[in-house]
Amino acid sequence: MTHGADNPLEHPEVQLANGRSYLLVYLFSCALLGAATWLVTRQAMTPIGLFLLTTALAGVVVVAQGVFLLHMEFSETQRWHTVSLVLFIPLFILTIGLSAWMFHGLYRRTMLMPEMPAPAAAAPAAAGMPSMPAMPGMQR
Amino acid sequence: MTADVLTYPAHADHGHDATATQTFGFWLYIMTDCILFASIFATYAVLSHNYAGGPTGKELFNLRYVFGETMFLLFSSVTYGFAVLAMNRNARNQVVGWLILTFFLGLGFIGMEVNEFTHMVLEGHGPDRSGFLSAFFTLVGTHGTHVSFGLIWMAVMIYQVTNKGLTTPIRSRLMRLSMFWHFLDIVWIGVFTIVYLLGVM
Repeated sequence: MTHGADNPLEHPEVQLANGRSYLLVYLFSCALLGAATWLVTRQAMTPIGLFLLTTALAGVVVVAQGVFLLHMEFSETQRWHTVSLVLFIPLFILTIGLSAWMFHGLYRRTMLMPEMPAPAAAAPAAAGMPSMPAMPGMQR
Repeated sequence: MTADVLTYPAHADHGHDATATQTFGFWLYIMTDCILFASIFATYAVLSHNYAGGPTGKELFNLRYVFGETMFLLFSSVTYGFAVLAMNRNARNQVVGWLILTFFLGLGFIGMEVNEFTHMVLEGHGPDRSGFLSAFFTLVGTHGTHVSFGLIWMAVMIYQVTNKGLTTPIRSRLMRLSMFWHFLDIVWIGVFTIVYLLGVM
């Protein structure tokens, strides 16, 4: 390595810095997140519509911030930063998606679902066991 | 094997400067930090409806308050960007000024978060109340801890820039802190949307 021989001012992180883009992305983010907050506060749409629109607005803000603040682009100097981020995205989705899917299956088979009424608590009660809702820590 | 095969000439890696290597190494650390957040987001997704008879997000969250908190953090990213621009102009005092402003914006964000947590705990809605609240405090608290460490790092940088000036290692550290700070900004957008906005729906 050429420690100390390089000039950080020539580094793309510094060279790509742009005051106007910082301000624009801030205003853009404020507008989109403000709109999402307003929509949720007013319950202005159906729940599924609100979910999709809110998520989409957040996604646009994240991409805008990634491009203008973290300089995610495919120039020679930033290419591998962007590639590592793009390769990370499936891992992120798999981590969350598979965990949610596994626990959804676990709840269905072994635990009471939050939205389901307690089924047939009479069977264990008849066998002398405490009924499920009475157990500490049990979800509603 | 001869000695000249083992020798690696110092000029062979021209084009690969230390700053680029350090920055990319730090970027890879940030990617591993993303995995940490992915795991906690996954836990939150699993537990987000386990209220155990306790309060829901709709009963707990004040969206206007949290939106204000969000604006503090987003604007602190802008002011940090201006600190980088000042560094580009070799304007040491301006760098310190923008860093101090960024520090106080970040401190405002943390203060609001601590205030929110304190109120929730005092009202009996602490992390041990339900699975939902455990996941909430873990996710939001982990982000807040990152911001707090970012603030400590920023305080150290303010001290170093003030006392040592804009030397090459200090410029390099300022750039890595810049990546870290912007990264926390982006993670917060996910937290704000998934925990707060979707939590009150």
